[in-house]
Amino acid sequence: MNIYKNLTCLLLMLFLMQACALKAQTVSVDLSGKWKFQTDVMDFRRGSLSPRYNHVLQEEIQLPGITDDYKIGYKVPYQYIDRLTRKYEYMGPAWYQRDIEIPAAWKGKKIFMYFERTHWLSSIYVDTKEVSAIDYISVPHNHDLTNFVKPGKTHRITVCIDNRFQYKTHKWNHAHTEFTQINWNGILGEMKLMAIDPVYIEDLQVYPNIADKSIKVRLQVNNETKKQFKGKASFTINGKSYNLKNELAVVSTDSVTVVEANIPIGKNAKLWDEFNPNVYEITAQLATSDGKTNYQHEKATTFGLREVKQGKNHVVLNNRPIHLRGNVENAVFPKTGHVPVDDASWERIMLLMKDYGMNHLRFHSWCPPKAAFRMADKHGIYFEVEMPMWGKDAEPDEDRYNFFRREMRAILKEYGNHPSFVLYCNGNEITGNFDFIEELTSDAIKLDSRHLFSGSTARTRVKSDQYYVSQQTNKGPVKVYEGLPNTDWDRSTESDVDVPVISHESGQRCVYPNFEEIKKYANSPVEARNFEVFRDMLRKNGMLDQANDFFKASGALTVLEYKAVIEALLRSSKSAGFQLLSINDFPGQGYAPVGILDPFWDSKGLVTPEKFREFCAPTVALLRYEKSSFFNSETFVGKAEVYNFSNAAIKNAKLKWWITDASGKVLQKGNLKSQTIANDNVSPVGEFSIPLKGISTSQKLTVHLSVNDQIKNSWDIWVYPAHENLMKSTAEVLYTHVYDDAAKKQLALGKSVVLYPAPADVKGRKSMFHNHFWNPIMFAWAPMTIGNLVHNDQPMFKDFTTSYHTDWQWWDILNNAKVIEMQSAPEKLRPFIQVIDSYDNNQKLGIGFEAIVNGGKLLVLAVDTKTDMDKRPATQQLLYSIDNYVKSGKFSPQVNVDEKFIQSFLNK
Amino acid sequence: MWRKIALGVTMLASQTLMAQEIVFNQKAALAQVYQKAVEADGLLPMNDLNVDFGYVLYLAEITTQAESEDLELENVRDYASVYVDGKLQGRLTDNHKKIVIKTTPGKYLLQIYVENIGRITYGPEITDNSKGLFGEVTLDGNEISNWKMIPLNIKKFPIKDLKFESRKEAATPGFYKGTFKLDEAKKTYLDISGWGMGEVWINQKYVGSYWEEEKQRSILIPAENLMQGENEIVVFELKNNQQKTMKLSQTPVFK
Repeated sequence: MNIYKNLTCLLLMLFLMQACALKAQTVSVDLSGKWKFQTDVMDFRRGSLSPRYNHVLQEEIQLPGITDDYKIGYKVPYQYIDRLTRKYEYMGPAWYQRDIEIPAAWKGKKIFMYFERTHWLSSIYVDTKEVSAIDYISVPHNHDLTNFVKPGKTHRITVCIDNRFQYKTHKWNHAHTEFTQINWNGILGEMKLMAIDPVYIEDLQVYPNIADKSIKVRLQVNNETKKQFKGKASFTINGKSYNLKNELAVVSTDSVTVVEANIPIGKNAKLWDEFNPNVYEITAQLATSDGKTNYQHEKATTFGLREVKQGKNHVVLNNRPIHLRGNVENAVFPKTGHVPVDDASWERIMLLMKDYGMNHLRFHSWCPPKAAFRMADKHGIYFEVEMPMWGKDAEPDEDRYNFFRREMRAILKEYGNHPSFVLYCNGNEITGNFDFIEELTSDAIKLDSRHLFSGSTARTRVKSDQYYVSQQTNKGPVKVYEGLPNTDWDRSTESDVDVPVISHESGQRCVYPNFEEIKKYANSPVEARNFEVFRDMLRKNGMLDQANDFFKASGALTVLEYKAVIEALLRSSKSAGFQLLSINDFPGQGYAPVGILDPFWDSKGLVTPEKFREFCAPTVALLRYEKSSFFNSETFVGKAEVYNFSNAAIKNAKLKWWITDASGKVLQKGNLKSQTIANDNVSPVGEFSIPLKGISTSQKLTVHLSVNDQIKNSWDIWVYPAHENLMKSTAEVLYTHVYDDAAKKQLALGKSVVLYPAPADVKGRKSMFHNHFWNPIMFAWAPMTIGNLVHNDQPMFKDFTTSYHTDWQWWDILNNAKVIEMQSAPEKLRPFIQVIDSYDNNQKLGIGFEAIVNGGKLLVLAVDTKTDMDKRPATQQLLYSIDNYVKSGKFSPQVNVDEKFIQSFLNK
Repeated sequence: MWRKIALGVTMLASQTLMAQEIVFNQKAALAQVYQKAVEADGLLPMNDLNVDFGYVLYLAEITTQAESEDLELENVRDYASVYVDGKLQGRLTDNHKKIVIKTTPGKYLLQIYVENIGRITYGPEITDNSKGLFGEVTLDGNEISNWKMIPLNIKKFPIKDLKFESRKEAATPGFYKGTFKLDEAKKTYLDISGWGMGEVWINQKYVGSYWEEEKQRSILIPAENLMQGENEIVVFELKNNQQKTMKLSQTPVFK
């Protein structure tokens, strides 16, 4: 009986304690919803006028949100050419206000006001007094209001968000740029008022040790009671079929106490990497008492059991080299105008990375919010994050330096537990004082062992660099901007320096804008008014009907360039990886439509993820060969390699090669020696030869290579018979390189002329195989053309196999040609080799066209037909095809052209 | 204990070996790598000389009227060292485009050696792609004209074909040759401290470039570029042509 009674008593006590504990837990009040609002373009605060916080604000706004959502600001009348246009610009202080009753029960508690992400100075006024100001740009703002609010009382809380530049930082930094995401004003994500017991966990960091499968947990306990507290910290670790508890005693009188615990988590705990993204959650519960009052606080974080080290040429994760196949992420979010803070938006991006065979994102001059890390942890994506630092941001400026010093520490503290946080770099292409860059880098290394650190991308190296992202090292270039028709090259030697080297901003091949995207901006804070300008210009120039063809043809070229670029970097066994700029379009810096996805991360329909993964994936079959265009007297020699950075070696791999014609028929096939292909490396696996002598007609063939019938890749080659006696005049057809009397006479007789001026005799731009780098507005240098549209259904191409877009067989044709300016020719005249002009110019351009001139038939081809012709099978074949055409009954140009036009593009 | 000491001695010995000084006592004249000169009234950027990256020597006759005159360049991409009659006057970059020329008044040959380190997307600061020298070059405000521009085939000229001779005191840019011995062909770092700007070949294979304004002061030499026994090193130097030696280091060197 007694026992029973005691037991009841004990139970009751337990119950009471639990109730008490519950009451003592963190309480938070959601602050989302309606707020009073007012703009402040006059900056009343700085003007010593009557500031907004002295008044009841007169308008309303919903938070979380940004001013653009409510069409607040300057209604922009302009059509910005070099970027998307923000519909309503606002840059200045804006005021948000709410009367908030602080619950009486919060007496004795710490009271915080928390905003997950804002831009970028937030200040809090309690009634009419400024009590807190925070200017982090990469992490949440957590304002301590404890000493300024009174539980039980209703306070007028006025928040000022100031999105003006708080420091003299580069306007392009993606953390606060107006040009990709916009420089928004507002509050995003979680916003809440929190009450916390005065003995609480300020910080919880988890440092995994994979050798003994343990974690070191580091708790910072803040004690604001000014008394000694005693109690325990208990830890619960949860994962998939995993649960562990651990606790330790804590006692301290200090205001800040650091508690460290080494917790073995057992041999069943799983490591985290891209293939097995095992995430654990640790919850730390702090239960303490100062003898009179009990305090309780809880903090949780996710972590992964993984270690990152600097390898010789690679980043080493869990003691294995990894290879980074990455995309540069530039805060491109036109749908919302601001970075998303929800899991779903970021999960979509991580899944897209996986879809396109990538495992890495570099956040260029910015650091994403928590949701991005959460989703990267979940799906196994390796992040490089940066501060808003670019260009001259390292030139001496103590205010700015201090901002960076704070920001770096805040990033490490806020996101350091995330296993996806693998690399940290201060910023992009920095110039200035590199002693400061070294200071930041070495300080960061001391603060956090869980990442690798680098001073700056693509600029001066510093001593503490643990990796280097660059276009070049002191051994030469490591970036790859464009492919070549041959593939027996790489960037290994140039990448082999004292630290792992990642190829910086490779790719950057411009696609003609897809004007269909204009309508996607209907509900966005930005719109593509630049596209409207370009489209109108194309309409005015009589080619609007070709807009989609230009987009498709240039897009196809970008895809084949990216295949070549990525394969070159995968062949580079001593490269730590690459960062493609970029899989999605970049809507600033002149507007760079270099993506295979649009700015909304939607596919442009240029390449499927499956096809992309043939050349960008953990395992890729590679082939080194000398050229893409062959005479049928030659032999194709392929040196096969397998890039394997998957999670295992490939045992007894069966390696097959075969070659098909356009119909898919297998012409020849063979096997390479079956072998085990090592993991974490690029391995040569054998060589094969294909004599091409059986190929009697000009055609495109495809060389295929497969590993165990699962990993497949293919490369197109073109085979041509050799031709002699090309370009011979007959009575009916005159070949001439000058437009002279003989040519005029021939035309006047109603006969045919093929005019093939030497490129030097043609005015205008030099033709180039590659489409423009980045975009023609920011970099107005050669070629100022965006690929070519080939009118391949026309009869002059009957004997020249080509698609509507240029491919590697066009290499020697296009690189030996001149671009004829044809805008003054009749609108109906369309060149059969049509060069796509820079979209801010949109003139009609061509390399080859036909027309009726003075009653005769003229075909013009501005291609060099003299130099090294015995090495140019494709040019020979094109001339052969044209020769057959002009000597056939099919040669019948439709458009009349004045002779003056012919003279207009010739130098003499 | 004995083992420890023995180990210590070996380490010391190998360190001494690694720290050996490489003496460059031979020089190959730069004229061997001159390519076809182009003459023009005004400066031509490298783009117009068909030089994508690499070096061009810009030459012009100047007449000085005072002992000290300002030489100012409108554009320098990316680096230039300035000589007058073979005497170094200083170096110029796009951030620092003016130097003082010191001569006794008279006629001289102005020699500007320019390096273009390849196209870099500088971002906002640079939106054109001209390289080398372009715009005006002025001496005390007067434009210098009648230029001779000689592309230098530094990177692709076969090192084995360079003709070296014993080094004399002349301090103009050129190729320098030295040798060093290794007990074992293993990875090492070449410490280029003291040298200005240039390129390095080991056993006739290109291994990298250096610039004194970088914090990085060493070039990694992979084991596959080295041989047991005697190794040959050739350096092309643009500016600090009085330098005589380099060192090997086991670790990367930074300043």
